[in-house]
Amino acid sequence: MDAVEKANADRQKRWAKEQKIGEGTYAVVYRAREIATGRRVAIKKIKVGQFKDGLDMSAIREVKYLRELKHPNVIELLDVFSSKTNLNLVLEFLDTDLELVIKDRSLVFLPADIKSWMAMTFRGLEFCHRNFILHRDLKPNNLLIASDGKLKIADFGLARDFADPGYKMTCQVITRWYRPPELLFGCRYYSTAVDIWSVGCIFAELMLRTPYLPGESDMDQLKTIFRALGTPTEDDWPGHTKLPDYVPLGQFPRTPLRDLFTAASADCLNLLSKCLIYEPRRRISTKDALNHPYFFALPYPSHPSKLPKPAAKANSSHPLDEVDGNVDLSGLGPGVKANPPNKLKRKVSSDELGSRSIARRLDFTQHR
Amino acid sequence: MVILSRHDHHRCESCIDRLFTLGPAPCPVCNKILRKLAFTPQTFEDLEVEKEVAVRRRIAKEFNKRMEDFPDLRSYNDYLEEVEDITFNLIHDIEIPETEARIAAYRRENAALIELNIQREEQYNRLLKEQEDAERQEREHRAAELRRLEEEEREEREKERQELIDKLETSDKDATRLVAKSRADALRRASARSTAAANSFQSSSKLLRSRAAQNTIVPDAPHVPLQDDWYAYEDMYILRDNYEDPASEAVRRDREGIMKAGGYRVEEAWERALRSAIAGLEIMPAEGIRTVGS
Ligand SMILES: Nc1ncnc2c1ncn2[C@@H]1O[C@H](COP(=O)(O)OP(=O)(O)O)[C@@H](O)[C@H]1O
Ligand SMILES: [Mg+2]
Ligand SMILES: [Zn+2]
Ligand SMILES: [Zn+2]
Repeated sequence: MDAVEKANADRQKRWAKEQKIGEGTYAVVYRAREIATGRRVAIKKIKVGQFKDGLDMSAIREVKYLRELKHPNVIELLDVFSSKTNLNLVLEFLDTDLELVIKDRSLVFLPADIKSWMAMTFRGLEFCHRNFILHRDLKPNNLLIASDGKLKIADFGLARDFADPGYKMTCQVITRWYRPPELLFGCRYYSTAVDIWSVGCIFAELMLRTPYLPGESDMDQLKTIFRALGTPTEDDWPGHTKLPDYVPLGQFPRTPLRDLFTAASADCLNLLSKCLIYEPRRRISTKDALNHPYFFALPYPSHPSKLPKPAAKANSSHPLDEVDGNVDLSGLGPGVKANPPNKLKRKVSSDELGSRSIARRLDFTQHR
Repeated sequence: MVILSRHDHHRCESCIDRLFTLGPAPCPVCNKILRKLAFTPQTFEDLEVEKEVAVRRRIAKEFNKRMEDFPDLRSYNDYLEEVEDITFNLIHDIEIPETEARIAAYRRENAALIELNIQREEQYNRLLKEQEDAERQEREHRAAELRRLEEEEREEREKERQELIDKLETSDKDATRLVAKSRADALRRASARSTAAANSFQSSSKLLRSRAAQNTIVPDAPHVPLQDDWYAYEDMYILRDNYEDPASEAVRRDREGIMKAGGYRVEEAWERALRSAIAGLEIMPAEGIRTVGS
């Protein structure tokens, strides 16, 4: 084993994989623990081998960008190691994602909750853009939620840095419903504005509780957008008819956002409309969005700890193992029941403990 | 009820109850799908254990004092110790007559309290059961409501589809317009349904009340746009409107207007180059490359 292999093996040994918790387009995600501290983490194992040099571009991108990004609203990359032909990213563990939150119909969203999620999304994205990185796959499912309610942008598998002048980028990025019209028209030179469109779609989805622009195919996606926001004119979006995949799709009238988002405040709809401006250069930037009146108006954004979350799965947060007990003064509940005599509630210094055979696993209280 | 299980890690009945309130669930430790049935009481082969169980059952019935029945922790501990002594003796057949006498004496002295605690325990169990019943009803009510909404939604979709087909057949209006209108209506209704579903739980659940209560504990703070220590060397450079930059000449000319239409900004590339260069100014020369005498 050479030095590099040894270093890799040492890193791998720091983490204990437990069970599979998620699967994405190119990765399997496991729950795991840091052996030394017991800290919960996630390991994203990337299926390698789609590219001829053996290492998947997505994997490289994800490592490259997450390495550089450290921000409260961007998922933290803790370690990287390889196993067989896989690349393993060790990530901070996050409880749930915004898609699951939106879909849980038993949850009520207050306007302040939506404001809080939006502020966190924009802050994380501002940080990416400030570091010249385009995310290119923003959607509720890639916005993960930590146990303290903080939102973190995740899944940098499609991210890339701003292109140098004259370099083409692929337009096959961003999940369809969140993809901006310039990419649907095959544009190969684009900017941060593509991410802003996605955020606009997420914003609308938070209010509607259902996807805002659910196109059935790439072609239908454009129609779906135009039906909602009206077919753009040359004034709305100069030059768009020259884009590589442009096709005329018919004239659709613009319906005021107010008709659909009946309960939203004026500030709120103003910001939403600025995220969904056709001409990418006029679309709002993350920094301007964060300074938009919507965020300063009442109600204040909800404190992250109060944001609605799906009920925890019957997961390991509650220790099922019995706690070895001396008398617990705080446990004044059902008296004897909470402190059954079988648990050897004795003085702390009970040194004859070992000499008595007491079946400690049994619960002797009469429950029924 | 005694619980023994192959899944060693489950012992506490209340945990198991909680785990299975909604039916079979994965074991939180080993992730195997478990049913509550798997936790039915078992008889013990080991007679020694069986005897201990019997003794403890008997003792627990009468030695039911609670911590609040004692003036201090010390006397409670003494009491627990005495109970353990008696139990130990009975299990191991030590000084049986004396031990029985101790039990009888305890019974005489504490008759009233024992009775009171039995009643307290019964009352507590009743309360617990009522609470569980109420929660179960609430859950069932919610599930029924969700089913109803889903059914409604399905019927509505079907109706919409039929209406659209009818209209397309009979109307001379532009087909795309009709489809557009029908979709917009569908989206509006879907959204109304989702929010209505959430809101219908609002009143029935304690959710909003608990949110309000939380407010006094963790107050919401005014918005602060950026919360990290943002520094991008902006005080150290001024981005000009234009640069002599042969590499981007074609892009800037953009004869077709397609870069402009796509939103590409050469300024972003310039800013990046400038900022990277300035950030680089702060990097100290590598250690070890020292000039003589420094
Ligand atoms: N850090 C994490 N903590 C908990 N779950 C995660 C974490 N990262 C990913 N997941 C789960 O795994 C799924 C796939 O991860 P993702 O990074 O989106 O992969 P892909 O790029 O293949 O879509 C996510 O939707 C989420 O459910
Ligand atoms: Mg994903
Ligand atoms: Zn188990
Ligand atoms: Zn328990």
